[in-house]
Amino acid sequence: MKTDLMKRFSSYYQSIKENLSDPRKNHRRIRKLQATTGSILRFMLLFGLCFVILFPTIQQVLMALRAPEDVNNPAVIWIPEQWSLLNIKIAALVLDYQKALFNTFKVSFIVMFLQLASTSLAGYAFSRLRFKGSNILFLLVILTIIIPPQALSLAQYLYFRDLRLIGKEASVYLMSGLGMGIRSGIFIYIFRQFFRGLPKELEESAIVDGANVFRTFWNIMLPNARGAMVVVGLFAFVWQWNDAYYVKIFEISTAEFPLLTMRLINAAERTYQALFYTGALNLIGQNIWENPLFLALISNVAALLMMLPLLIMYVFVQKQFVESIERTGIVG
Amino acid sequence: MKTYHKLQLSYKQQKLVWAVIFLLPWFAGFLLLFMAPLFESFRYSFYHLTPRAGEITKEFIAFENYRYALNEHVLLNTSYRVELISTTTDVVINLPVLLIFSLFIAVLLNMKFKGRALVRAIFFIPVILNSAAVASALGGGEAFAALMEEQGIGQLFNLEFYLLQTGMAEFLITFIVGLIDRIYSILALAGVPILLFLASIQSVPKHLYEAAKIEGATNYEAFWLITLPNVTPHIITVTVYALVDTFLTSSISNIISTELNRQNWGLSSAMAWIYVGTIVVILALLAMIAKGFKIGESHYEN
Repeated sequence: MKTDLMKRFSSYYQSIKENLSDPRKNHRRIRKLQATTGSILRFMLLFGLCFVILFPTIQQVLMALRAPEDVNNPAVIWIPEQWSLLNIKIAALVLDYQKALFNTFKVSFIVMFLQLASTSLAGYAFSRLRFKGSNILFLLVILTIIIPPQALSLAQYLYFRDLRLIGKEASVYLMSGLGMGIRSGIFIYIFRQFFRGLPKELEESAIVDGANVFRTFWNIMLPNARGAMVVVGLFAFVWQWNDAYYVKIFEISTAEFPLLTMRLINAAERTYQALFYTGALNLIGQNIWENPLFLALISNVAALLMMLPLLIMYVFVQKQFVESIERTGIVG
Repeated sequence: MKTYHKLQLSYKQQKLVWAVIFLLPWFAGFLLLFMAPLFESFRYSFYHLTPRAGEITKEFIAFENYRYALNEHVLLNTSYRVELISTTTDVVINLPVLLIFSLFIAVLLNMKFKGRALVRAIFFIPVILNSAAVASALGGGEAFAALMEEQGIGQLFNLEFYLLQTGMAEFLITFIVGLIDRIYSILALAGVPILLFLASIQSVPKHLYEAAKIEGATNYEAFWLITLPNVTPHIITVTVYALVDTFLTSSISNIISTELNRQNWGLSSAMAWIYVGTIVVILALLAMIAKGFKIGESHYEN
């Protein structure tokens, strides 16, 4: 009986030993181990970074949903004790939200289209319609990327004042329509790289079919450049949405035509005055608006309100955006 | 045959005509909205400009603005020279970190795993939310940060204390803690570089990887021998972008804006030109290094 057990044990032992010393199986095991540790490490790293990215936003959302009385209630750390939309209401009043949102959306949308038009045309000409000296012209595009906007703003301001465009949204439209908008140089660069990556056969077959240059561009090249269009469109929209610089220089945001960025900066710098003038103070008691933390909270919520539409839109565009990166090889 | 030839020639001419038409908006904008202001601002940098009832009086002072900006300028608790030097050294140190980090993340995001689309979408959120206005609104909450500290939400756990307990060298700890403190801003800066790298990795022909795998190459080898050489031509693009971007979001840029708003126009123009000069010098140095190491040349063409 005992010897039998011993025998069985030793046979087990032998088979395990054989299994472990089999080089092919070992190799497979090592591979598997490497793959698992690799994916665990990757998961930890990406999860951590995603957390770092999402953490402030989640925190702010939860902060915004607190009741104003609870701003420095030490018992509330994450989950609000009393859920309330009052902070959001007040911040929306301060921002003149409805009007400002509509205006910002309109300006960003028009600018996006103008940027797409001017930069895609230029990018196409630089990549597919090359001529003597087009490389030198392209160096000038690089120059427009390098020079900071501050170096130009005074002269631009004076120029626009002569054209009587100061204080009007048309000034930004003119800039982006003529390919000098926010980082247009980079957009031209992206389009050039992209069009260069499209196969020559596309163009040749279009010529054989008798299309002229513009039709080749419009009917064949542009639909194939959807990836670059999505990327450039997204950036043009977002950067215009977030832009505080040109809006400030050209004094576009006025009482009748409020824009989110300027209202937000105003609210952040002078929260109390903003609350006072918009009549938001009547919504809350004195013991609350005398609390500096409450003022800070309002400017935070206002910032959140400005980012929120972008985040919501991004959720919808995100799939196309990520896929377009997949398909493009922008830097082809 | 002859007609075909003629047709092609005319197509070439057509192309030229269309090139002119396509470039016209950009070129008009370039001349009117870029070149003209550029010369003006260059001229302004040698003048002392004072606003007078709807007019601006100019006084020629040669290099005085430049001298003032570099030697005497003081703004609150900082000065142009200090910020220029610190930004430049920051850029020189941070640029390689940024490049390596974004390349690394791009390679990670390019791998196949569950939830990749979600992770990618999250990674570009900082690009979307990267806004000066939002930053100023959030930065206004200094009191807020203090409160959070008090409640212990600001930091989930005290990393520095923990690391000190392990007996690690102090300079290493400051380095790690500094890096982690800045991780959000690094992520925000790295958004577009990751995007560009991701796109360039996607454009590497897939059959190269298949062939390498058949030959028994590991992922690690495939990265060094296939991905990296194929991505190098685009490192230049990313570098230029990152360089310009860090300068644009740096404190020098803020100082120039502040002086501009204070109507010190001549001074701010001079500052902007010093800034441009610095970027050009760094770019030229990088170009020389790149040429020396043959980075940026497509290795298929030679």
